[in-house]
Amino acid sequence: MNAIGFDHPLALLLLPLAALPFLASPLRLSAVPSSAVVPEDALSAAIGVALSCLGALAIAALVLGLSGLHRRDQAVERRGAGANVVLLIDRSSSMDSTFANRSPEGKEESKSVAARRLLTDFAARRPADRVAVAAFSTAPMPLVPMTDHHDAVSAAIAAIDRPGLAHTDVGRGLTLAFSMFDDTSSETSRALVLVSDGAAVIDRRVQDALRDAARRDPVRLYWLFLRTQGSKGIYDRPPPGEPDTPQIYPERHLDVFLKSLGLPYRAFEAKSAADVSAAIREIDQLEQRPTAYKETIPQQNLDWIAYLVAAFATALLLGAKLMERRLDEPELARPARTAS
Amino acid sequence: MRPDWRSLALGSALALALAAAAQPEIQATRATYDVIGFVDITGSMNARDYSAQGSPQSRLDAIKQRLPAAIGRLPCGSRFGLGVFSERRVFLLFEPMETCRNFGAITGAIHGLDWRMAWEGDSRIANGLERAIEMAEPVGADVVFLTDGHEAPPLRADLPLTFEIEKGKVKGLVVGVGGAELVPIPKYDDFGRESGFFSMRDVPQASHVGPPPDGAEARAGYNARNAPFGDMPEGDEHLTSVKEPYLRQIADATGLGYVRLVEPDALAAAIETNAKPRPIPVPVDLSPLPAALALLALGLLYGAPLAASLRSRRVLQQGVS
Repeated sequence: MNAIGFDHPLALLLLPLAALPFLASPLRLSAVPSSAVVPEDALSAAIGVALSCLGALAIAALVLGLSGLHRRDQAVERRGAGANVVLLIDRSSSMDSTFANRSPEGKEESKSVAARRLLTDFAARRPADRVAVAAFSTAPMPLVPMTDHHDAVSAAIAAIDRPGLAHTDVGRGLTLAFSMFDDTSSETSRALVLVSDGAAVIDRRVQDALRDAARRDPVRLYWLFLRTQGSKGIYDRPPPGEPDTPQIYPERHLDVFLKSLGLPYRAFEAKSAADVSAAIREIDQLEQRPTAYKETIPQQNLDWIAYLVAAFATALLLGAKLMERRLDEPELARPARTAS
Repeated sequence: MRPDWRSLALGSALALALAAAAQPEIQATRATYDVIGFVDITGSMNARDYSAQGSPQSRLDAIKQRLPAAIGRLPCGSRFGLGVFSERRVFLLFEPMETCRNFGAITGAIHGLDWRMAWEGDSRIANGLERAIEMAEPVGADVVFLTDGHEAPPLRADLPLTFEIEKGKVKGLVVGVGGAELVPIPKYDDFGRESGFFSMRDVPQASHVGPPPDGAEARAGYNARNAPFGDMPEGDEHLTSVKEPYLRQIADATGLGYVRLVEPDALAAAIETNAKPRPIPVPVDLSPLPAALALLALGLLYGAPLAASLRSRRVLQQGVS
């Protein structure tokens, strides 16, 4: 891709006008019997050529300016401290209730509103991240592919407090999230952040797929569990004598499963928005690895530079023009001398 | 001494070029559009009645190809959000975002759409459209609803279709996707592998929602407790085509426009005609005006003596001959 572009390339057809100064001169003609009378003078010849060049430069610069010279928007590779993050967000309808498991009233915040607010902050604080967003509920859904554009990320995060669906298919959501790291995201800086308010039994086949994905694309795994009051937590064990099955303790079993993947893994159990905020701050601090990301520098108009060049050349020409003296012109100094 | 006209031309060219370099601008407004595209991802959207490069293309793939291109043609500053429709409701993937800067992300998200994202098999389009309009309203966006109009189970002709939304608050359009000919709908097994096409017995051919209609007793197979609607009739609900009259009807009832999925240019134009224009201030660069005048001045400066010398040469030649 060329770095320089034109808004109206057709205007460039006027460029041949720049040849005009070599065919004509803005200086007035002097009546001389023969050009042979004029002595050969290298300096004069050089000045003549220079004046023509200045004229050509002025015209060419004006044409370039008129054709809308600009530098195209450029993606500049930058290095920073951040991560390639896949945010996997639970969009089941239980996210729309508060931590106290009520419909939000007045100033109360639902879990999804709190998650939205804090994740938006998180993304905004970390310019060096490349982020992809996926949601899962009854089915896994990729929302925004891995991108450097943080507007896109915040648009996807902004949608998480919109009405969700019924179920929590966390297993297939995780498989989708693993697949969203692209080739350009360096392996050392991949992080997967799962935000959910519950868990579910992961199908045996999906478990196998996940183990396989974890071996192939190692990532650092974070589970931000938004625990609703009265629900079972990650670390709740069944009382003695009761069966310890994933159907009854899905959160505990998801935790056990994620630990078994052999990846760097942290689980955060948040019972309030403040806990979520603390957990996100901690993830923010942990995920400071060297990353390469692209920053887009928007298109820059360069036509003003072309116009300035044209003005400069015209100014020199004008200077030359004002110094012009004709052979038949009386010298300016003479009247002054006669007066004295 | 009378100033030479050539000095004047140079002087004005200088002044005009400086004026152009100062980049004068005025504020103008440009119409932009805020839309949320809702894409039908139900089973009938897998029917292949488009073609691309000589091979059949499914309706969903036709959308993936044309919708991003149409969005790219909307004026910069427009915003686009994406949602999917299945069952009887919609699910918002992302809120509207600026289309020019985020074009890559929007295209990527549209290409990521898949029938596997659907949460249930039904396709109650009228309900979905209503939910879509409700979802777009709080953010002030308009709706672009892309669907083939194939209701599954089919609507009951004897029950009137009603919408409980305020007509005209949200504008936009319904985009009809699919061909006019009936084509079979691909069927997938539990692992998402294609396993043939739906047959007549696979899908309900008539709706059994609501109380049975009058005269159901006379139908074949009627049983007051077990089969109040009678036997399932034969039909062609397992085949699909774009249901244009129906889509026009629901578009009309909700105050939206209707267009068939066409080439991106026409689709972008249809969005612009049907959505609410949202004027945003844009600076308009006025510098080409002085720059063009400066160019004219320089052109005269060099052109006039050139023309004069050409004329005098001609006179000279004529004098000699």
